[in-house]
Amino acid sequence: MDQEAIALTIEAFKEVGINYIVTLPEEPTHDLVQRIREDPYFETVTVPSEGCGITFCGGASLGGRRCVFITGIAGLLVGSWALSQMGPTFSIPLFIMASYRGDFGDLSGVQGTTLYTFNQVGEPLLQALRIPYRIADHKPTLKRLVRDSYLATLQFDAPAVLLLTGEVLW
Amino acid sequence: MKRYDCLELLASHVDEEMITVTCLTSTFNMWRALRKGGPSFYNLNLGLCLPFAVGLSVAFPARKVIALDADGSLMIDASSLILTAQVNPANLVALVFDNQSYARMGETATAGGTDLEAMARGAGIKHTATVRTLEEFRAVVPEALQSAGPSFFVAKVEPGERFKNPTPPPTARGMKDTFVQAITRLPDYQGVRYGTPLPGVPQGE
Repeated sequence: MDQEAIALTIEAFKEVGINYIVTLPEEPTHDLVQRIREDPYFETVTVPSEGCGITFCGGASLGGRRCVFITGIAGLLVGSWALSQMGPTFSIPLFIMASYRGDFGDLSGVQGTTLYTFNQVGEPLLQALRIPYRIADHKPTLKRLVRDSYLATLQFDAPAVLLLTGEVLW
Repeated sequence: MKRYDCLELLASHVDEEMITVTCLTSTFNMWRALRKGGPSFYNLNLGLCLPFAVGLSVAFPARKVIALDADGSLMIDASSLILTAQVNPANLVALVFDNQSYARMGETATAGGTDLEAMARGAGIKHTATVRTLEEFRAVVPEALQSAGPSFFVAKVEPGERFKNPTPPPTARGMKDTFVQAITRLPDYQGVRYGTPLPGVPQGE
């Protein structure tokens, strides 16, 4: 993620008041998280597992904290049980941003069927769980998408996911 | 020691200002019968009870949040112990009812050598205890509700305890809506209340 995309994301967070960042470090979003950690506006928590992060963020969000869980699409697969409960079962307003590993343009080093699995399973999983998502792949629309995805969680009273790819990520 | 007796004792110390979260065990039916009032989120199952409670504890840092978890649920995602230690919420009390069994379907690992309190301590939670009698429970748990935590207790309870709540259970969404209505009335709720302007959105947009 380059400096422009990082700056746009942080601007959007501040615009809607997101100041609590939950993350499980992964390479494509590392620079974003690093910049956030250096900014005193934000409080960050590193979680030990994806299911934990999704559920923790769900509790904080329902309680009124303005937060986001930043992870990778593999994290959505690992945390699918937690997603199923935060989504279809309880409908918790929860904002997740995830790098779209396995999308076209991912030349980050993961190869073969591992890469292909992310691509083939990620979006169908979200669709099966009926969790609304958007794909952010152009910088000119990134800030608006971050803002609107977060606001969608409040308006829907349900989770929403923003997948990062294209020129936003690679 | 019986789970019901522990919960009855706990209910006498939990006021309406506190927030409780339960997993999907007999605790659910017992607690909704015993708790007189106040926000309760029920039925977070298979590893989700404790991390959800930790999330609520950071949303309400000046209010006690009590997680009523169980051995089988906690073991599914024991990483939540690490989360609890990392976030270190002073207002959290985690109580794990350990009946050493999966209902009537056999023993959990805690019937053998697995020690959940030792795992919690190993994860970095400082205030921990295992209680085996109601007297021990009475000695440590009420005090934790008045002290800085996080606190983590394992309550060894009898397996096979049944409880029938005559009140039909709420639906998941109905329960959640009731919970949201309760917490949004709290003066320290910092979220967006329904019908109020969204953050960062100019009026009229």
